[in-house]
Amino acid sequence: MVPTTSYLALSGVLFALGMVGVLTRRTAIMVFLSVELMLNAANLALVAFARSWGDPTGQTAVFIVMTLAAAEVAIGLAIIVAIFRKRETTNVDDLAALKG
Amino acid sequence: MMLAFILLGALAIVGGVITIAARNAVHASLGLVGTLLCVAGLFATLNASFLAATQVIVYAGAVMVLFLFVIMLLNANQPVTSRDPVPYVRELAGIGGTLLAGAFVVLAFTYQDPRPLAEGAGALRGGTALVMGETLLTRFLLPFEAVSILLLVAIVGAVALVQRPAAQPDGVPDELEEDVGAPQERRQVPRPAALSSEGEVRA
Repeated sequence: MVPTTSYLALSGVLFALGMVGVLTRRTAIMVFLSVELMLNAANLALVAFARSWGDPTGQTAVFIVMTLAAAEVAIGLAIIVAIFRKRETTNVDDLAALKG
Repeated sequence: MMLAFILLGALAIVGGVITIAARNAVHASLGLVGTLLCVAGLFATLNASFLAATQVIVYAGAVMVLFLFVIMLLNANQPVTSRDPVPYVRELAGIGGTLLAGAFVVLAFTYQDPRPLAEGAGALRGGTALVMGETLLTRFLLPFEAVSILLLVAIVGAVALVQRPAAQPDGVPDELEEDVGAPQERRQVPRPAALSSEGEVRA
């Protein structure tokens, strides 16, 4: 049986990859894709912990996180579409009206 | 079992690298689809069969179709060519990401299972829909109902956000109404002021 630590290490690597994506990508959609990667890394860690403790609570939490992520994607993409209609861009550098 | 983990894990990391490095947005999202499918496989190896199925259906299916649809709708698959406003952001992010990954890996190997793995895996009873449903409808009943309300709000919010603004009563069209689907009879009304402003927008 694969030890829990291996799953946690893989989850950490995936999370770091997602973080690098959030920091370097400059299109709002790509930043969003990287956030999805980070969410999945966290889900993987939760499922690994659920097996480690023998408690389906962790899996249920992952199920709820998935539902929230689906709602978040629907709203987030709707916001991106609305911004694109107004500003003709999804480059996050051009969308800095709220900075400071 | 170990072989499956190594294969799926390596493929998940490759998909993640494609997601953050591909110049074309469509390639990046297909890389993420690969990662999501690998994570679904890892769920299956972790006695979470219901979650593995949900991951494929909801994430790799519905969510990624939505992403690809918006990328193609906005024609956003072209790489950004302008100069990065932050100097050395790629290098700094790479160093930071490596440090974070290293920290997570070191942290992961300090974890100790509270009980033998085989015992924990047996207690999950395969993570089928039966097990999940029991937990979801007893201990997690309130979050379950809250999530259903949240989904309803998300549906209404998404529709409200992408709705085009209603036409002004004074009949001055803005550039948003002009490009797609403006009714034919309204375009035929002679309106020199509006036409000249439209020309500026097009120029």
